Amino acid sequence: MPKLVHNQDPIEPKDIPGNTMIEMIKVSRTYAPDIKALSDISFTVDTGELFFLIGRSGAGKTTLLKLICNMDTPSNGLIEVAGYNIHNLKGKKLAHLRQKIGVAYQDFKLLSDRTVAENIAISMEVSYKKPRAIKQRVRDLLEQLQLTDKHDALTGDLSRGEQQRITLARSVANSPRLILVDEPTGNLDAATTERVMDLLTRCNKAGATIVIATHDSSIYKDGNHRVMELRSGKIHSLSRNNR
Amino acid sequence: MNFWFAVFRQAGRNLRQTWTSQLMTFLTVSLSVLIFAFFYLIYTNMIGAGDRLSDDLRLIVYLEDDPGPEMQEQLRRKINNFDKTESIQFISKFKAYERFAEQLGEDSDVLTDMPKDFLPASIEVVPLKSLRGYNQIKLFSEYLATLPGSEKVQYGQEWVERFYYFTRLITIVVLLSGALLILTATFMVAYTIRLTIMGRHEELELLKLVGATNNYIRTPFLLEGIIQGFMGSILGLSALYVLFQWISLHFAGPGLLNLFNFTFFPPMVIVSILLGSIGLCTIGSFTSIQKFLKI
Ligand SMILES: Nc1ncnc2c1ncn2[C@@H]1O[C@H](COP(=O)(O)OP(=O)(O)OP(=O)(O)O)[C@@H](O)[C@H]1O
Ligand SMILES: [Mg+2]
Repeated sequence: MPKLVHNQDPIEPKDIPGNTMIEMIKVSRTYAPDIKALSDISFTVDTGELFFLIGRSGAGKTTLLKLICNMDTPSNGLIEVAGYNIHNLKGKKLAHLRQKIGVAYQDFKLLSDRTVAENIAISMEVSYKKPRAIKQRVRDLLEQLQLTDKHDALTGDLSRGEQQRITLARSVANSPRLILVDEPTGNLDAATTERVMDLLTRCNKAGATIVIATHDSSIYKDGNHRVMELRSGKIHSLSRNNR
Repeated sequence: MNFWFAVFRQAGRNLRQTWTSQLMTFLTVSLSVLIFAFFYLIYTNMIGAGDRLSDDLRLIVYLEDDPGPEMQEQLRRKINNFDKTESIQFISKFKAYERFAEQLGEDSDVLTDMPKDFLPASIEVVPLKSLRGYNQIKLFSEYLATLPGSEKVQYGQEWVERFYYFTRLITIVVLLSGALLILTATFMVAYTIRLTIMGRHEELELLKLVGATNNYIRTPFLLEGIIQGFMGSILGLSALYVLFQWISLHFAGPGLLNLFNFTFFPPMVIVSILLGSIGLCTIGSFTSIQKFLKI
């Protein structure tokens, strides 16, 4: 019987407040034939930080998040997550690091023929959480996002705004150390947006590092966060929001 | 513990999602196990019957005349020179007459007018057990026919020949059905698992993204192959057993089956067939995983 207890946590040892969670040095990503989605990006995100990534459509936000979670590899440059060069990790180590990173994809990546509960559970199942704990966590999240009545609905039948919240719930369910959120409020009304942001703020308070890519100025204009603006693949500005 | 729980849950989902093709594979595997085991059962029983028949095998050399003691000694030596034997027995004309009379019993008076030497003298040769292959017996009988004074050699040639060729035929059929079993088990299982993998492409991608280990993703498919092999061979062998019972019941009494003393497989063979089909199905699923589940 293979030993599969996730005892050696790759992300934990260097994951201490004050340390760097994400470090990018001179990162570029060029798509064939000659689309420069990102060029020469260097910045860091601290552990425990709530970080905003803004920019017009096509500026490169999604590309940047994909590089951080190793869905895509950079054409040039170095990316470290929790002190690990994530593009050199393989097999079990990569899997364990990914269990510690929750991603809410812009295109959702929900399994449309599965129920809401099953979709949210998936991220906890792969790290062998107990079925009862999974059930409880799913219920809590659905309640926080006002989706309790959708517990057994197929995600394919839901509205886009509902699907968006399910994706978010799945990304935070396993209590990851790093949460990447791509456009979390695009299809939501103001009240629901507030609920979503409440959930993310709570995760952040619990110690998770969060990067949010968004067009929605209403969610980043208040508070004391750093906001990085991309323009056609380059860093246009990186400043702290001090109002 | 948690790992196996997850594996079984995932395998269960696979079975549920593609249950029609899973069912087809399951039935195909059981059918091939049934066909193979059926012919193999006939084969083993033929071999058993052949052994029993060959226990009674003796070659009878009819002689022109009663051999004198020196002649007997010489013949004995010549026979043993060619091949070792279990026993060699000389039957004189008179002894043959006595035997025949004994066989006739009450009707033996029909013989009163016959001369006591009207039956030919003979030698009964029982070859060694280890030398009773069809070709060996044939060669032996050909040699015995060349002995001085030998007129004719008999050992139920026709029967032995037919039995021999039928056994050969069954051997070929067993090999063919074995090949069929290998092909169906590996290819059908490989095919359904490929189907499952294709059908769940999205989910497998997502599993990788949320940090599922290779074992988490792969083991359920391997388990699926094992389950297919296990269930398939269980059903195939059970069907054969039912068929066997039915035949035994309906053809009971004196007849062909009694001659053959028809018996079912011993436990060792059952276990071997089971493990064999499980192995084949596992190979099938493994090849599909290697090919279509690149991680
Ligand atoms: N796989 C790809 N192949 C080719 N070009 C791509 C690919 N992915 C992204 N791009 C291009 O890279 C650029 C940046 O895309 P990206 O998805 O990162 O933008 P974005 O900032 O997320 O936009 P949006 O706000 O609309 O989501 C775009 O010009 C896009 O067309
Ligand atoms: Mg985007």
